[in-house]
Amino acid sequence: MKKNVRVVIARLGMDAHWRGSIVVARALRDAGMEVIYLGNQMPETIVKTAIDEDVDIVGLSTLSGNHMVLAPEVVRVLREKGMDEAKVILGGTIPPDDIPRLKEAGIAEVFGTGTPLKKIIDFVSGSI
Amino acid sequence: MSKLFDGKAIEEIDRRKEGWQKEAYDPQKELDKTFETLSGVPVEPLYTPAHNARMDYLNDLGFPGQEPYVRGVHPTMYRGRTWTIRQLAGFGPPEETNKRYKFLLKEGATGINGVFDYPTLRGFDSTEPYARADAGRGGVAIDTLEDMSILFDGIPIDKVSSSLVTCQPICNISVQSMYFANAMMRGIPLDMLTGTSQNDFLMETAITVAPELLPPKFSFKLSCDAIEFCTKHVPRWNPISFAGYNYREAGCTADQEIAFVIANAIACSEELIRRGLDIDSFAPRLSFFLSSHNDFFEEIAKYRAARRIWFRIMKERFKAKNPRSLTFRFHVQTAGVALTAQQPLNNISRAAYHGLAAVLGGAQSVHIDGYDEALCTPTELSSLTALRTNQILQLETRVTNTIDPLGGSYFVEALTNKLEEKTSELLEKIDQIGGIVKATENGWIHKEISNSAYEYQLAIESVKMPIVGVNCYRMEDEELPIQLFEVPATLLIQEKKLKTIMKERDTSKAKGALDEISRCCDEDRNLMEVIVEGVKNRITEGEISNTLKGVYGTWNPPLF
Repeated sequence: MKKNVRVVIARLGMDAHWRGSIVVARALRDAGMEVIYLGNQMPETIVKTAIDEDVDIVGLSTLSGNHMVLAPEVVRVLREKGMDEAKVILGGTIPPDDIPRLKEAGIAEVFGTGTPLKKIIDFVSGSI
Repeated sequence: MSKLFDGKAIEEIDRRKEGWQKEAYDPQKELDKTFETLSGVPVEPLYTPAHNARMDYLNDLGFPGQEPYVRGVHPTMYRGRTWTIRQLAGFGPPEETNKRYKFLLKEGATGINGVFDYPTLRGFDSTEPYARADAGRGGVAIDTLEDMSILFDGIPIDKVSSSLVTCQPICNISVQSMYFANAMMRGIPLDMLTGTSQNDFLMETAITVAPELLPPKFSFKLSCDAIEFCTKHVPRWNPISFAGYNYREAGCTADQEIAFVIANAIACSEELIRRGLDIDSFAPRLSFFLSSHNDFFEEIAKYRAARRIWFRIMKERFKAKNPRSLTFRFHVQTAGVALTAQQPLNNISRAAYHGLAAVLGGAQSVHIDGYDEALCTPTELSSLTALRTNQILQLETRVTNTIDPLGGSYFVEALTNKLEEKTSELLEKIDQIGGIVKATENGWIHKEISNSAYEYQLAIESVKMPIVGVNCYRMEDEELPIQLFEVPATLLIQEKKLKTIMKERDTSKAKGALDEISRCCDEDRNLMEVIVEGVKNRITEGEISNTLKGVYGTWNPPLF
């Protein structure tokens, strides 16, 4: 039997806006996935939870502009700890020019402002 | 008695309307969609006096500057003084934001509207581990009194009013104290200062939450401490601006937005009365901050309804007598959440409509958003365009010629009544829970807002709510036609200043100031009294916050 997709969702650093992350968390939960919602966290804690909970997807959200510093850091620590399969995805206010650089840093997909929920659900449910 | 319409006329209008609906209005010809406001109020094809059958002109509407203030809070409104153009600004280190303030003032802004970066708003120093990646983002970084003096260097704060967007009470208690201490050091008496600070405990505990939050009742205490301090020492300062704008941005509907700000204001009033203050000593300075979202008429009705509800609560529940206590005065920011990253120049027209709704609703000051806000911090060009949009509204459209121009519109009056009714129901519910602080502690507020946010998103998904460029008229492979803003380097500059301060300051004085804060918490005294003096000993915002958290503990908001 196919196991449920497990997702951890966190807001990066100090970012204040929970609306997007909560809406996505609820949509994924309603689509039958197991969602762990962390609130604000730094990369180390996000990775620790990802490992402890054996998640398939690490969903990061930020609108503050800290994504170029903290999102690649999550990927780096995750891989350093040997968690090679979990994918890291990012949502929020992300200037388009940053997207190629984020992908180079190992972010699997970036979902900017105005992304349909369905696109995120399809991506996450197709991840295992 | 000043009934708007007589009973006979209403009967006749109703009878004829029924005929019109039967014979002329064919619902089959309606577009296939639900006609309702953004907050879900059903909208009928046509409004007539019958919708306002029970309205009494003097009791329900009155005259501007007179009870029940629905038509406006000042007798002359924009014919006497137009709304303040208060464009939000703040980014990077204080040295950079000081230049932007001077630029906006030179270009005709009539007040400062200063926003602080993420760490400052949450009570952190720029250099703390949580803060480093966010220093200078979303606003200006302030760590110490020295930063505050740099931020307002060369700006006549005895003449220009300043709005300090110190959202969280944990930020406000330090940053506002620094503003006051800076004024004292410049030789400006506190009673000359005019301005507003945000200082809203719901911002800290439900809306723009952060790591290591103060528990709601302590955040609420800090908020009330600042109000009490200003009532006694800074009488021309608005010590709180209930941030309905941000509640709306987080997901609230129009009625939730005004219900929650008013519930918050009720709680503050009760607490300050408990502390021995007279309602009329502080209520004249309670101010509100609202959004202007996409539903043009609903927004106008919302502002009008808020004025009526506030008037009745102040008059009946709190027995306020000072006319200023009875008036709901508010600043509006156009809805950031309504802006799109797609085809960003479209946001110029969106924000202009939002701004128009705000002034048709009688706002006291207006910020119009920059077109690039769904993508980045506004650039100089987008800030200037927003400022000009505000000026075009004020100078070219002639909407300022008469007061409350939509008063008497059958639709707008009916919608105003409807929003008043929905808001009053929510207020009753909050009273039953035991007030807004309890409703926050038990997660009711978080649930209300996240449910609304989720429904809003589902309406976009299903295209029930069309958003141009997002779920219709989308352009694939769109080239971004705008230059994005790059935040100037902040962390290194703040780190260097903090290092110097740590080296130069009198350690025992700094420690003494922090100990005094801690003692003040234990003895449950007013913290602002102590912190205004404390910051002169060069203690940092982060040190103050950590002292408060050491006594009060931290709290995890029940969001999911």
